[in-house]
Amino acid sequence: MIGNYRGEWINVLIHGHMMDTLLLLALNGLIWGLIIALIALGLSIIFGLLDIINLAHGDFFMVGTVLAWFTLELTGNFWVAFLIVPLIGFFLGALIQRVVIQPIRNVAALTIVATFGLSLILQESVRISFGTTPRRILPPIQGTFPMFGINYEIYRLFAALIAIIALAGFFVFLHRTKLGTWMRAVRHDRETAIAMGVPAQRVYVMTFGIGFALAALGGVVAAPITTVEFRTGVDILPFCFMAVIIGGLGNLPGTAVAAVLLAFLEGIIQSFADPTVARISSLLLMSAVLLVRPQGLFKGLTK
Amino acid sequence: MMTPNVIERAMLIAFGAFLVAVPWLIPVLLNKFWVSLIAEIMIWSLFAASVNLLFGYVGLLSFGQALYFGFGMYGVAIGVATLGLSFWPAFGLGIVASVMIALVSGIFAVRLTWHYFAIITVVFSLIFYFFAVSVKPLTGGDDGINFSLPPTFSFGGVTGSFSDASFQYFFILATVSLCFFLMHRVIRSPLGKAFVAIRDNDVRAALIGLNVYQLRLIAFVMAGFLAGVSGALFAFFGRYASASYMYYHVSGEAVVWAIVGGAGTLFGPIVGTTFFIVIRELVSTHWEHHALIVGVMAILVVILAPKGLVGLWNDAFISWRARAKAASTNTTLQTEP
Repeated sequence: MIGNYRGEWINVLIHGHMMDTLLLLALNGLIWGLIIALIALGLSIIFGLLDIINLAHGDFFMVGTVLAWFTLELTGNFWVAFLIVPLIGFFLGALIQRVVIQPIRNVAALTIVATFGLSLILQESVRISFGTTPRRILPPIQGTFPMFGINYEIYRLFAALIAIIALAGFFVFLHRTKLGTWMRAVRHDRETAIAMGVPAQRVYVMTFGIGFALAALGGVVAAPITTVEFRTGVDILPFCFMAVIIGGLGNLPGTAVAAVLLAFLEGIIQSFADPTVARISSLLLMSAVLLVRPQGLFKGLTK
Repeated sequence: MMTPNVIERAMLIAFGAFLVAVPWLIPVLLNKFWVSLIAEIMIWSLFAASVNLLFGYVGLLSFGQALYFGFGMYGVAIGVATLGLSFWPAFGLGIVASVMIALVSGIFAVRLTWHYFAIITVVFSLIFYFFAVSVKPLTGGDDGINFSLPPTFSFGGVTGSFSDASFQYFFILATVSLCFFLMHRVIRSPLGKAFVAIRDNDVRAALIGLNVYQLRLIAFVMAGFLAGVSGALFAFFGRYASASYMYYHVSGEAVVWAIVGGAGTLFGPIVGTTFFIVIRELVSTHWEHHALIVGVMAILVVILAPKGLVGLWNDAFISWRARAKAASTNTTLQTEP
């Protein structure tokens, strides 16, 4: 996954020093971590609230990158994508919840099959409309910024900023708005929430919509720093699950922190080893967490 | 008079007879290609059966069966291509390798249940997937290992070779049937009843004295065995092994086949696998985006027939049997006086 890591790695090996490589990969990892945190939060709220292992979530991200590409093609303006794509994602997510998930919501095994089917449908739709050739989007902000002795791409810093704003916005939404409170209430105790008059059905639709929107936003942010193709979702999904598990199921701040930590660690490991080694080490870390602390690493640290 | 039970048995015999007749029947009706397609369906059905054994009978949803499939596949491929083994030792190596890795990972995995179990099985399979991708000299990575000429094998006085299409077909049929028969026996045995007890309520099962952990581990290793056999067969069948068959998508497909066919039924995996592979073959000759149809079908079946295709059939069958019974009692009542 994160296909451009390897390219950059080689690039830096040729042109830079070891310290610079480490710094660059650590920074790249950090920023990817923030983007993954966005996607993983969407996965986590769907997981926590609807009890669904959403196998199509990586493809929600992929659809985000592809929609960003189409927006750029149609309007010639990449910035519009930041607004439109999450909105489209939200409606797609809400629609999917109504049509596909709602009839089988209570049978977890069936929802896994359904989201697997959904993943196939999304990938094939993209293959039909977008084609199979991977494409690249030029960053809307060109140029580099001198930082800690290396020249760092400005767009990546901007991507980090957007991701941080979106993350902060999501937590404000969760704690300061009525819908956010409803979502937390339904997750905490569905029966009581319904008895208190929370429209659980609507909350489910909204949750799925927001989950899709977060992943799609992640896709827009990531589109200029990764390749746009129908397969990116398949590769990113395991990583998002790792963040959700290591952060602790349903522990949203934990998920965000875990995503950043994981990507950062992988970035550092990649500066002296193969990307596959980095991936295997984070998978091993995740197995250890699952077996020793299935509640996640940060249980007890956050409320 | 035809009773439902007789019909069900007759269907089973007809199905068996059909499978035996395939090498002669299908080339006449369709073409030769479908013979090898049916062989492939049998291999994948066995793979789906390994998911079904765990999920349908023990209640553990594994998303990582591709790992054991992969070990069976690589056991054969490496055995033949690198170690120069002949047929049976290579087959044995594949099966032993997958059973061993199933035992080791099962010791950890079955400590967890439900979501956590599903995720740790994926994680284990991903670890070995990335491992297989990176140790290219041994596994060939994503490009895979092609191995030439399958080793000839002789059993008693008969000599056979996989280059003979009918021999290959019958070997796969015999192996897969044997595995399904063994699975059937296990499910009907006290061990199988214990599995179902754990599936239905693991706390109650523990309270009546069943060792839940140990039983789950046994089921896990058995499922690993089934997946390993299917992987080993697949390697012989395709003369090929590749890391891409160990990715989580392969595991996911088996889950879909098993659940769409009907989890917790012996024939569910066969029906589900056949359903999807036949759709794929029929559509892919006309339209390259057959995966779209597969996705839509998976969702439709899950919504319209939550118990799977076999479940749908069973429900229809049970109500028909009830009607037939009511009708026969009515006639006896009428003729009695």
